[in-house]
Amino acid sequence: MTGYAELQVTTNYSFLRGASYPRELVMQAADLGLSAIAVTDRNSLAGVVKAYAAATDHKKKTGQEIKFITGCRLDLACGRSLLCYPQNREAYSRLVRLLTLGKRRVEKGQCHLTYDDVATHGEGQIFIALADAALGDFPDESLRNFLTRLKGDFRHQTYLALTRRFRPNETPRLEALAELARDCRIPTVATNDVLFHKSDRRILQDVVTCIRLGKTIDTLGHDREWSADRFLKPPAEMARLFSRYPEAVEHTQAIAARCSFSLGELAYQYPDENLIPELTAQEALEKLTHEGAAERYPQGVPEKVKRQIAYEMAIIGKLKYAPYFLTVWRIVKQARKIGILCQGRGSAANSAVCYCLGVTPINPDEQKLLFERFISEDRGEPPDIDVDFEHERREEIIQWIYNTYGRDHAAMTATVIHYRSRRAVREVAKALALPEDIAAGLVAAIWGWSESGVGEDRARALGLDPNDWRLKLLIRLSKQLIGFPRHLSQHPGGFVISKDRLDDLVPIENASMEDRTVIEWDKDDIETLSMMKVDVLGLGMLGCLRRAFDLLRDHKGIHQTIAGIPRDDPALYDMLCKADSVGVFQVESRAQMNMLPRLKPRCYYDLVVEVAIVRPGPIQGGMVHPYLKRRQKIDPETYPSEELRAVLTRTMGVPLFQEQAMEIAIVAAKFTPSEADALRRAMATFRNDGRIHEFADRFIGGMTRNGYEKDFAERCFEQIKGFGTYGFPESHAASFAILVCASSWIKCHHPDVFLCAILNAQPMGFYQPAQLVRDAREHGVTVRPVDVNASRWDSVLELDPGNPKGYLAVRLGFRLITGMKEEPVAALVAARERPYVSPRDLWRRSGVAVTQVVHLAEGDAFASLGFGRRDAIWSVKALRDGSLPLFDAAPSGGPEFAEPEAVLRPLTLGGEVAEDYVHLALSLRAHPLSFLREKLRKHGWMSLDSLKNKKDGAYVNIAGLVLVRQRPGTATGVVFVTMEDEFTHANLVVWSTVFERYRSEVMTSRLLACSGKVQTEGNVVHVVVRELFDLSHWLKALAQDPEEMSVALPGAAAEMRLASRDFH
Amino acid sequence: MSLTHARAILPAVGTAHAAPLDDAGALAALSTGCFRFSPWVAPCGADGIWIDATGVSHLFGGEDRMVARIARVLAKSGLTARIAMAATPGAAWALARHGRAPVCVSTSTHDLDPLPVMALRLDAGTARSLWRVGIKTIAALKAIPRATLPLRFGKLLVTRLDQALGHAPESIDCIVPQEARRRAIVFADPISTAEDIRRCTEKLVRGLCEDLEKRQEGARKLDLVFMRTDNSHQAIRVGAGRPSRDLKHILKLFAEHMDTVAPGFGIDKAVLTAWKYAPLFPTQTDSDGGGQHAGDLAQLTDHLANRLGESAVYRLAPAATHIPERAQNRAAPAEDIPASAWPTCLPRPVRMFSPPEPVEVVSLLPDHPPARFVWRGTLRKVRCADGPERVCGEWWLNRDEVAEIRDYFRVEDQDGARYWLFRDNRLTPNQSHLWFLHGVFA
Repeated sequence: MTGYAELQVTTNYSFLRGASYPRELVMQAADLGLSAIAVTDRNSLAGVVKAYAAATDHKKKTGQEIKFITGCRLDLACGRSLLCYPQNREAYSRLVRLLTLGKRRVEKGQCHLTYDDVATHGEGQIFIALADAALGDFPDESLRNFLTRLKGDFRHQTYLALTRRFRPNETPRLEALAELARDCRIPTVATNDVLFHKSDRRILQDVVTCIRLGKTIDTLGHDREWSADRFLKPPAEMARLFSRYPEAVEHTQAIAARCSFSLGELAYQYPDENLIPELTAQEALEKLTHEGAAERYPQGVPEKVKRQIAYEMAIIGKLKYAPYFLTVWRIVKQARKIGILCQGRGSAANSAVCYCLGVTPINPDEQKLLFERFISEDRGEPPDIDVDFEHERREEIIQWIYNTYGRDHAAMTATVIHYRSRRAVREVAKALALPEDIAAGLVAAIWGWSESGVGEDRARALGLDPNDWRLKLLIRLSKQLIGFPRHLSQHPGGFVISKDRLDDLVPIENASMEDRTVIEWDKDDIETLSMMKVDVLGLGMLGCLRRAFDLLRDHKGIHQTIAGIPRDDPALYDMLCKADSVGVFQVESRAQMNMLPRLKPRCYYDLVVEVAIVRPGPIQGGMVHPYLKRRQKIDPETYPSEELRAVLTRTMGVPLFQEQAMEIAIVAAKFTPSEADALRRAMATFRNDGRIHEFADRFIGGMTRNGYEKDFAERCFEQIKGFGTYGFPESHAASFAILVCASSWIKCHHPDVFLCAILNAQPMGFYQPAQLVRDAREHGVTVRPVDVNASRWDSVLELDPGNPKGYLAVRLGFRLITGMKEEPVAALVAARERPYVSPRDLWRRSGVAVTQVVHLAEGDAFASLGFGRRDAIWSVKALRDGSLPLFDAAPSGGPEFAEPEAVLRPLTLGGEVAEDYVHLALSLRAHPLSFLREKLRKHGWMSLDSLKNKKDGAYVNIAGLVLVRQRPGTATGVVFVTMEDEFTHANLVVWSTVFERYRSEVMTSRLLACSGKVQTEGNVVHVVVRELFDLSHWLKALAQDPEEMSVALPGAAAEMRLASRDFH
Repeated sequence: MSLTHARAILPAVGTAHAAPLDDAGALAALSTGCFRFSPWVAPCGADGIWIDATGVSHLFGGEDRMVARIARVLAKSGLTARIAMAATPGAAWALARHGRAPVCVSTSTHDLDPLPVMALRLDAGTARSLWRVGIKTIAALKAIPRATLPLRFGKLLVTRLDQALGHAPESIDCIVPQEARRRAIVFADPISTAEDIRRCTEKLVRGLCEDLEKRQEGARKLDLVFMRTDNSHQAIRVGAGRPSRDLKHILKLFAEHMDTVAPGFGIDKAVLTAWKYAPLFPTQTDSDGGGQHAGDLAQLTDHLANRLGESAVYRLAPAATHIPERAQNRAAPAEDIPASAWPTCLPRPVRMFSPPEPVEVVSLLPDHPPARFVWRGTLRKVRCADGPERVCGEWWLNRDEVAEIRDYFRVEDQDGARYWLFRDNRLTPNQSHLWFLHGVFA
């Protein structure tokens, strides 16, 4: 039996063409006994690394080799197509450059190549000419000319593809092609032009064709792929189909043999960092590390740390990672130089070297580091350092990297955008010509990032017949489509930097954002090929902290840094134990606030646990309650086995961190470290190719065999599943806990500075300015309104002599006013050498456009001048931009031209508050509900502070403004709603059955009333909702003057910005 | 509110596409209907109708009764309406849209005072500006010195206020009612002879054709209705494939059915209506008299269709599908289908059997052509064959077609006859395949 290699394979990385994953295709080819498989996506190498990884895995697992050939289908501008396979490393570089050339010429996602481009990059490639220009057409003169040209240019590198199409006149067509090949002295080669790995993907292939062409299946007509036989076939079948052309089948073997290039040959080179000319990279790194250590430990480097550094240096030297560390150090140094706060996160925090270099904040002297989590000799993976920068200044760093390393050497990695439930359902429905209403109805129930599609029950709930054939197809096909790559996008901050030209390694294309270039591979591909990546991420809290440090220095003369903040300050922990954490990094969410009083953090490591515990991993694994009980000494600290004591002792015998779950896999289920890592990665990857069950069996089976209880094993596995996508490794939690510490310390001791900084760093975090301001005022900070004669763009600190606690006052900035822009504010402040006396005076002196003066008036910034909102707007309305020479001549500040005086009706207090919320999203005057309190009481709705004295199980009727709606992925179907009134906050729990009934109330109410049952746990109080009522229309009455009550502004009424934040 | 948002609240919310053109058409029709109340009528914006009641209310017995009458008539046709009568169009507009009562007759300009400023036909921006400085009602607006207003809110505000209060004039353009394409004859003495009926038909058709010519239109569907003295009526409906105003042609179409008219005790009225018509411009005939053929063919198909029924005359049009029996549709005979619309690379037999006829076949698996087959009791030996052409079922139509794959073969038998056979690749319960003969080539 002759062998066969499939050389024309389109994966689903030829977006919306192929209908199988690269992995599926490779595995199927191996199962069928093909000798080799090539992936030839259209003008793209996006899928090859995944296929290469699959082939490598297959060999590792079974010992059997399936040769993988890197290839590409080149669609030329002239309409002809070629398959191209690089024979060696040099040819591969040429192919990559060719693709880069074609992609950089045109917009993102396209490629423009001519035959001449191919000719100049053709050395060392093997080409297969395709004759599929039109549906099964006979070869013509143009094909003959094309072949003659190819043959002339590339001699023995050229082949002609013979492909069965199962169309009429196939035999004469193939015969004509073979004859043409003979004439041109070009050998033929058999291909099957594969689009999917098994025949049952045919239907999905039709659907993606519809999506690609924007047609429905009923109108697809002749654009539907004709042949249903576009799946992988075994060698014997291929030999039978091409029994008239045995040489064409044999040539597949010849080509496979000639293509000796493997992606494994891509030797990635770290960029040269000749920072200190006379030293090697390793020596330079050692020098910098020791200098850094001396700085970090002014009292002398502790012995433990010295040992750790030496140990890490040895491994770094052995694996030759020094240049990578130098690159990261350089980026971080640059950030420090231009005053941008940054901090490493992730596994790099396990390194003492990184600490000494100033990249990460975890002190190895205080914390046990697990360097193996970061770099391990066994895994042979490149280190991965993620660094957070101040969110709004990250772009400066990105452009610095491009400029320093050059666009040939630095580029951002791609992110593959996959189909998730919503889009899959919507697009399949469109392809199946189902009415938009149906898709929208089905999708409406999907929250956020679901990956499970929709089910029949959902269809039934909408009153649809789930037995309807198209609906069945929709449900089935959309599930199949979920996980398919749809297009490439830009990773939020992943940078690849290399010494060699990057376009020797991977095609680079333009990003949709200006001044950005993106490679075709995503982070998994980069990892597979051991390339270096630095994640340049943005973090809002860092911007807030930098502002806070600047304010501390300028106003209080305190020089503080993140590292300098004490981590054992009892006042700080007292504050957190009371769940007084509004605005504090990470622990401000509702779930965290509930956890704080239960966990009662007293030291830094408690914060690490606190950050990590309120995550899907521990929650799904049911680890939270056991941990809390042990902490409260209700349950004894026990260990499932002695061998796990070492792993779990830090967390009282309960696994909470990702590392621990991995270690359990190694210690208890007898995984090898690399297997454990594969397990983690399988969980993290979006679509798991069905490997999850394989792992589950091995993990749970392994643990039970080793004498563990099945229940514990299952819980551990659930936890690993939860960790996959949302897990927090310990080192990551430790880095974050430092920011928790820093932000709590500022909030605790300098609430004035904290409020000012966090307002200026908006938008960030969990809360709106209204809640932040309210929280600060409750802590005794004076907050002053926006004022044209006092405010700046940012909020600022002002002296507040009478403050009992000695805090400074916060003057709100113009940035809080909706619609206000920064440049006019600069002009306004610059022209403020003496106070403004009227809106007109401000307009004339500062030259600020009328629209902006209107915003100032609406924001009530003229109040101190004696102009109320309505008066200010009235006088602004009379202003016209543009030069009016006649008036310019009049002395400024002189009497305004004679106009009869209009007497305007002043706003009521309720109206002012409503306007405050419309234009500032907060009010310093009063809480909106204080105006409705009497009415609420009359209707039997109690204030939220009445919950304090209620016992568990009591029935209550309460009402409040909705602050946050949250539907965590961990608690299926439950919605958490946070409300506030003028006294306090309260939390509602809406179970899914109740939610379905009160969907509209939950989703849209701003003022919500609820009847329900009190549930107390410790000092945490929830209300479990029975009934809900939308009272939002009451808020309208707030703005109304009783005398104008009958009049309403229909439709156009400005909505009060009682904004809530929704988290899915 | 976006549709997505609305659906998040109420997933089952019903939706309909906005059809502003249809709405405008319906409003225009309703306006025409309002000529019964006044000769001076016009649609107003997208949702209103002006009726000038000057000098007509006495015909209805006073203003109140006129308004009540309009309300009654509209309610009868299932419409919910708000109606106001006032001294100026502006005031009527304001009261109809913002007044308390759904039906009212205003007697004083003070009626406007409590209404919101929106009632002055202001754009949303101006209304919001007024609202923001606390001027919410017309009364509040009147209290503001006039001179301060134009600078802040534009000249139109003052104009609108004056128009509503009657300080400034306003005129409204009336619409012209549309004529129907219709002719009628009323007979002083009822007619009943066939000859009379024919003559009156000819007169009606001639008249209508003249009307159509003036409008450069041609009739597609015509109704000829004869009212009999006993209050029953007899109707003939004819259709033309292409718009026509050719007297002879239309008369011929009617002549086919003329014998169905039973005059009974006599016919006292005949009405001819062209209820479907299309633009038809005069065409120049070729000087050699050619160019008439298309017309002849059209007239022939019209005759055939009128005699045999409309569905009996059709031509085939290609349909873009892989399934041979679905690859053609019936199209109207007059439709223009270029030969290039048919795919050339798919040889199809001139005659296809519906349904395909089962045949007994001897062939080799998996995809070899038949060696011989028995069709209609005769054994045929295959001399040469082409295939398979593999055709997949249209899985989206029903679940049976998901697995349907047919292998088509063109074969020629020992006598030189050519056939189109296929094998259904689904296995039968006894593990064999069914073969069918789907057509014969010429």
